[in-house]
Amino acid sequence: MFEWSDEHLAIRDAIRSFVDNEVVPNIDALEHEGVPPYEVIRKMYRTFGMDEMARESFKRALERKIAGETGRPERRGGDNSAAMTLIPIIELCRHCPGIVTSMGVSTGLAGGTIMKGGTPEQMERWGLDLMTMDKIGAWAITEPDSGSDALGGMRTTARPDGDEWILNGSKTYITNGPYADTIVLYAKLDDGSEDDPRKREVLTFVLDKGMEGLVQSAPMRKMGLKSSPTGELFLSDVRVGVDRLLGGRKDPSRSKSEGRESAKENFVTERAGVAAMSLGVIEECLALSIDYAKSRVLWGKPIAQHQLIQLKLAKMEVARLNVQNLVFRHIEMSSAGKTPTLAEASAMKLYSAQAASEVAMEAVQLFGGNGYIAEYRVEQLARDAKVFQIYAGTDEIQITHIARDLLA
Amino acid sequence: MNVVVCVKQIPDPAAPQSLEPSTNTLDRSGKLILDDSDAYGVEMALQLVDKAGSGEVTLVSMAPNGEVAGLRTALAMGAAKAILVSDDALKGTDALGTAKVLAAAIKRTEFDLVLAATESSDGYTGTVPVQIAELLGLPSITFAKSVTIDGSTVKVDRQTEAGYDEVTAPLPAVVTVTAGVVEPRYPSFKGIMAAKSKPVDQVTAADLGFSAGDVGAAGSGQTIFAVADAEARSAGEIVVDEGDGAQRIVSFLEGLKVI
Repeated sequence: MFEWSDEHLAIRDAIRSFVDNEVVPNIDALEHEGVPPYEVIRKMYRTFGMDEMARESFKRALERKIAGETGRPERRGGDNSAAMTLIPIIELCRHCPGIVTSMGVSTGLAGGTIMKGGTPEQMERWGLDLMTMDKIGAWAITEPDSGSDALGGMRTTARPDGDEWILNGSKTYITNGPYADTIVLYAKLDDGSEDDPRKREVLTFVLDKGMEGLVQSAPMRKMGLKSSPTGELFLSDVRVGVDRLLGGRKDPSRSKSEGRESAKENFVTERAGVAAMSLGVIEECLALSIDYAKSRVLWGKPIAQHQLIQLKLAKMEVARLNVQNLVFRHIEMSSAGKTPTLAEASAMKLYSAQAASEVAMEAVQLFGGNGYIAEYRVEQLARDAKVFQIYAGTDEIQITHIARDLLA
Repeated sequence: MNVVVCVKQIPDPAAPQSLEPSTNTLDRSGKLILDDSDAYGVEMALQLVDKAGSGEVTLVSMAPNGEVAGLRTALAMGAAKAILVSDDALKGTDALGTAKVLAAAIKRTEFDLVLAATESSDGYTGTVPVQIAELLGLPSITFAKSVTIDGSTVKVDRQTEAGYDEVTAPLPAVVTVTAGVVEPRYPSFKGIMAAKSKPVDQVTAADLGFSAGDVGAAGSGQTIFAVADAEARSAGEIVVDEGDGAQRIVSFLEGLKVI
């Protein structure tokens, strides 16, 4: 794959038109007035039949789960599901990466975790509504004292009490946290043993908004990604039954690393998603920069005629081509039924996130004083792109995952 | 309820355009897209068929080089199939020739109603639909802002400068729709993927019974001798508010006799 197919372009054009009509006119409300992005996302799902596709996909996944099938479903040649997922991400990120973050966390992380690790009953109870965006999901792993060290340094505890667990602790930087209907929450087993707390078992629970002892904070103020609500969660003696333990009743045969694996399984998916997000930001910054360089006249000629401006544009184009090739590779692999290794996904995310951040900052520089003004849009994209180097694993964490694989 | 929709595939208005120097007609050799004004007819047709509970929407189009990109967009919206007339012999065909070709293509289908836009976004003659109606011997109603079917009759609210006329005609009929008739849907992802396997019957002028000289530049009754740039708009007047801005604007509008 070296270019988008006619069908891909048709999907792109349809989404682009939707973004122009439904997102762009509301960008100030989404970015600066605290309007949550969920209604726009739901409208997109209904408009393009993504909700119906999610229901069909859910039905197949449930049937596989009931039949005891594990692993990824067999894919047919020419499967377009990866492209159909990534193209909306790219197009939305040209204007509003925050929408994608809220959508991706709800369906990919919260919904995806339940679909992979949940029992059939849990899939039906929580998974379907998340996959269709009828309900909003949050995925709660990060804590005030542990970001990159989330699994080892986790302090939120799950204390067994008969057939139930009692959850205590807090989570922070939780996307959709303030509004989530369903929360996938990770907690350390606290069964009174003398084991090293860093090595204790991590359990995964599913919580509902409004449960006694659960408090969801108001949205936090952030540098960028303002259209994606981020918050804190506080758990004070939240009592949960086995029906909320992901995977159901604890069984001695189940691996003690299951909770950790559940968290790690999401890394590949979200890192590929960040590459697509980066491509959207890069494409838009490059397009805006070319237009501006051609129309902005200084010393009697367009700034595009100055070689230092040309250098910036050329570097942006190199980044665009490289990131697009990474996205194409991911689509091609997915179409062939293959999944990138964690190291490959990390390399893809590391390069793409840095490229997006650099391109967006260079776009601000190319625009000069106008680049610092919101009206010219590149400042928002620059603020938004910075988080690509931080969430879904910081640049530094990506490097460790790549190096670990190389040196194994 | 079977509805035929005449759709035009035009050069992308957002892309740079050029004229063919020998004919002064628009260069249509590049990729073409569905004329935005035709999306309303397609949507109206889909809604009428849906309401009737049976039947299908067929697209009819004439375009060079076997171009189907615009047709795929309308098929993705939900149309069932298309007839595309594409033939080098059609190059230079005028509005009446186009109507003859489209009418001949429409005759290959079973239809209750023919819909078209009031005019295309590139040629703007606005004459083809009524010419098709005349060639097919059917009644025509133009500028529909709403279309309903009542048994064997089509009821149309026809937009006028003063308001609208309520008009009816027996089916089959030809109706042109305005951009206000319905809001076109976005094609769903499934619709886009399904569109590539929907049938497009590509035919030539000869397949429709035309001989050389009937259509194309040779059969055209019109010649474009020259194309000139539209006269540039004169610069507006900038009113700097020095405390009397409102009064000056009122005086300006009074001068135009609009207030």
